[in-house]
Amino acid sequence: MKITTERFKQTALEELDNSHTQKFLEILPLRLAARRNEAYESFPDPVAAHDYGHSIRDEAIQRLPELLETFETNAVANGAQVFWAADSKAANDYIVRLARRKGVGYVTKGKSMVTEELGLNEALAAAGIDAWETDLGEFITQLLQRPPFHIVGPALNIPVQQICDIFMEKGVIDSPTVDPVELGMAARRFLRDRFRDLEMGITGVNIAVAETGTVINVENEGNIRLNKSSPRTLVCVMSLEKVVPTIVDAMHMLRVLCRSATGQSASAYMSLDSGPKRPDEIDGPEEMHIIILDNGRSAMYQDPRTREALRCIRCGACLNSCPVYGKVGGYPYGWAYSGPMGQVLTPALQGLRDTGDLVRACTLCHRCKNICPAGIDHPSLLLYYRAKDVAGDKTLGGSGGRWGERLVHKLYSVAGSDHRLWRIFSTMARLAANSQRKGERIRSIPIGARGWFSSRNLPALPRKRFRDRWIDIERDKER
Amino acid sequence: MKKISMFIPCLVDLVLPHIGENSVTILRHLDCEPIYHPEQTCCGLMSFNSGFRDEARRLARHFIRVFENDELIVSPSGSCVNMVKNRYSDLFEDDPAWRRRAADLAPRVYELSQFIVDHLGVAQLGGSYPARVAYHESCSTLNALGVSAQPKTLIRSVEGAELVELTGADICCGFGGTFANSFPEISTALVRQKTAYFLESGADVLVMCDPGCLLNIRGYLDRYHPDRKAVHIADFLADSLRGKAREAS
Repeated sequence: MKITTERFKQTALEELDNSHTQKFLEILPLRLAARRNEAYESFPDPVAAHDYGHSIRDEAIQRLPELLETFETNAVANGAQVFWAADSKAANDYIVRLARRKGVGYVTKGKSMVTEELGLNEALAAAGIDAWETDLGEFITQLLQRPPFHIVGPALNIPVQQICDIFMEKGVIDSPTVDPVELGMAARRFLRDRFRDLEMGITGVNIAVAETGTVINVENEGNIRLNKSSPRTLVCVMSLEKVVPTIVDAMHMLRVLCRSATGQSASAYMSLDSGPKRPDEIDGPEEMHIIILDNGRSAMYQDPRTREALRCIRCGACLNSCPVYGKVGGYPYGWAYSGPMGQVLTPALQGLRDTGDLVRACTLCHRCKNICPAGIDHPSLLLYYRAKDVAGDKTLGGSGGRWGERLVHKLYSVAGSDHRLWRIFSTMARLAANSQRKGERIRSIPIGARGWFSSRNLPALPRKRFRDRWIDIERDKER
Repeated sequence: MKKISMFIPCLVDLVLPHIGENSVTILRHLDCEPIYHPEQTCCGLMSFNSGFRDEARRLARHFIRVFENDELIVSPSGSCVNMVKNRYSDLFEDDPAWRRRAADLAPRVYELSQFIVDHLGVAQLGGSYPARVAYHESCSTLNALGVSAQPKTLIRSVEGAELVELTGADICCGFGGTFANSFPEISTALVRQKTAYFLESGADVLVMCDPGCLLNIRGYLDRYHPDRKAVHIADFLADSLRGKAREAS
C-alpha cells in the first residue's frame, strides 16, 4: 500500500471536515472502549490479568531471537516450511514464486495488517494473480480501494449505502439493499465460490507458539478458518514479534486480546494450526508455509527503547481510547497501523523523515498506555522519538529540528537556569504579549502561536507574577 | 506546622498567579506553612515534551538544586508533578548521579489535592460554594498520577456544592502543551467537545487540577462562551473558604 504518513495533517483536516467520519467517531470508539472495560470485568482479577499479559509480552520480547528459533524448529518438525523474509520484497517474491509454481490464478486472504504492510495485494496483482480479501471489512476496503480505517475493523466507517453501491458495481449483489445482514450474506456467497476450489490461501498470524510450532488466528467471521483449511497450499505471514514461549502463554494472550479488541471473552473462531495435513488425516492443506517477516524489526530490536513497540498484539484498544484517533480516525496515520500503536511502530520501521507529525500528534494523555494489554508505554516512546528527531539521530533519520524552535528552547533553558535571568526573560515575554492585549485578553499576536489563537484567547499577563505576589503574601502574614 | 515548599509552575507564575495565591490560602487554612523559593523557574516539561532533552536537563538540574532539600513539595499542577516524579528518570537515563538525585526527590512531590487528602488526611476543608460543579479529569492527573478521587472528595465536601456528572470527563481537552499550537484543528475539536459536554452537564462551574487544561478550556470559553466559568481546584477551594468566611461574618 502507498505510505502517506507525511500527509498526516492534511488527511486529518479532511477527516475533521468529513461529517460522516465525525458522526461515526462520536459513537464507535467510545462504545468499543466501554465493551472492552465490561469484558475485562469478567476476569476474576482484571488488574492481575492485565499485568500477566504485560509480563508474557515482556518475556517474549526479551527472549525473541531464541523463541523464534525454537518456533522454527518445532514448526518444521510439524511439517511446515519456514521462510525468513528480510523485507517486504523478499516476502512478496516468495509468495509470488510459490503461487506461480502452484499455477494458481488467484489466492484468498484472511484479514491481516502485516500483508497490508507488505503491499502483498499489489505485488500479486503485478504478477497477474488476483488476491481476494475474504474478511468482510477488508473485502469492502479492497473493492473501494481504501486503506484500513481501523486495524480491527478496516471498514467500520464505511456507510452501508456505499457498501451497497460498490457491491452492485462489482456484481456482488444483483439488486440494491441496505440491509447489513443481506449484504453480509451476499459477500459470503460471493466469497464461498472462491473458497470452493481454492489452491492457495494466505493469512496473517495473531500468535505463534514457540514450544509447539503452532500458529493461532483469531476472528469472528470464519473466513480465516476457510483460508487455512480449504486450500492445498497455506501461507501464514507473521511479523517476527508475534511469538510467545508456551501454549499456556498463548491462552492468556487470547483472553486479553479478545477482550481488548472487541470486548469478547473469546472470539467466535480461534484456529490453532500445527503443520499441514498429516498422512493419516483426511483434510487440511498439503503444504504450510510460514513467513517470518523482519522488515526493519531486527534493527528496531537493537535499541532497547524501540524494542518496546514490538510487544504490540494488534488489539486496537489504544485506537479506541485515543482522543486524537477519536477525532481523525485511521486514515491520517498513513500506513497499515493507526492510532497510538501505529505512532510507536511506524517511525521505528519507516524512520522519522516522514513521520515527524506522527510522533507529535499526541497530547500525552496516557490512556493508550493504561489500556494496553501488552504493556507498551506509548507516551514515553513518542517522547523518545521526538528527542531522536530533534537530536538528528542517524539511525532513525531525525530532522535535527527547526532552527527557530531550537533557538527558543535554548534561550528558554538558559533563562530558566537562573532566576535573575528568568525575571528579565519573563518581563520581556509579558511586555511582548501584552502589547497585543485588548482589555483583559489577548486574541492574537502577529508572529507565532497562530494555532493557539485560532480558537482560544489568552488572558493578558498580570504585571505581578506569583514571585512578586509572594512578597506581599509574606508581608501580610507578618502583619 | 508543616513546612510546605511551593512548586509553582512557570505557567502559574507568569499567567495564572492567582492559582498559586489560592494554593497558599488553602494550605495555610490547613495549618501548614507554605514556603517559596524564588530561585525556582520551570521544571522543563515543555522542552522535554518537545524533544529538547539537553535543554530540559538544564532546567531539571536547576529544579533539583532548588528543591532537593525540602521535605514536602506541593504543586497545583498534575502535569508538572508528573514531570518531576515520573519523567526525570527518563531524562537522566544516561546520568546516574542526577538520576539518583531526581529519584530521591520524586516521592516528596505531591499534586495539591493529592497532598491534602492523601498526605494530610483531610477530606473536608469546611468551605461553602453553592453551585453545581463538573470535574474535568486532567490527563496527567488522572492517567499518570492516578489522582481523581482526591479532588472529587474535596469538591463534594464543600457546603452547597453539588458534583454533577460530566460526559467524557476523562477525555483529553486537547491541550497537550505545544500540541494545541501545532495541531490546532484537532486540539480545537477536542476542546469544543469538552465544552459541549460541560454545557450539557448543566454545571455552573468546571473545576480541574491542571493549569494547562485551564488555560485551554478557559481560553476557548472566553472566545465562544464568555459567560461560562472554568476554574482551577485551588481557586474553587479558596473561594469556598472565602464564601464560608463571608457567611460567618
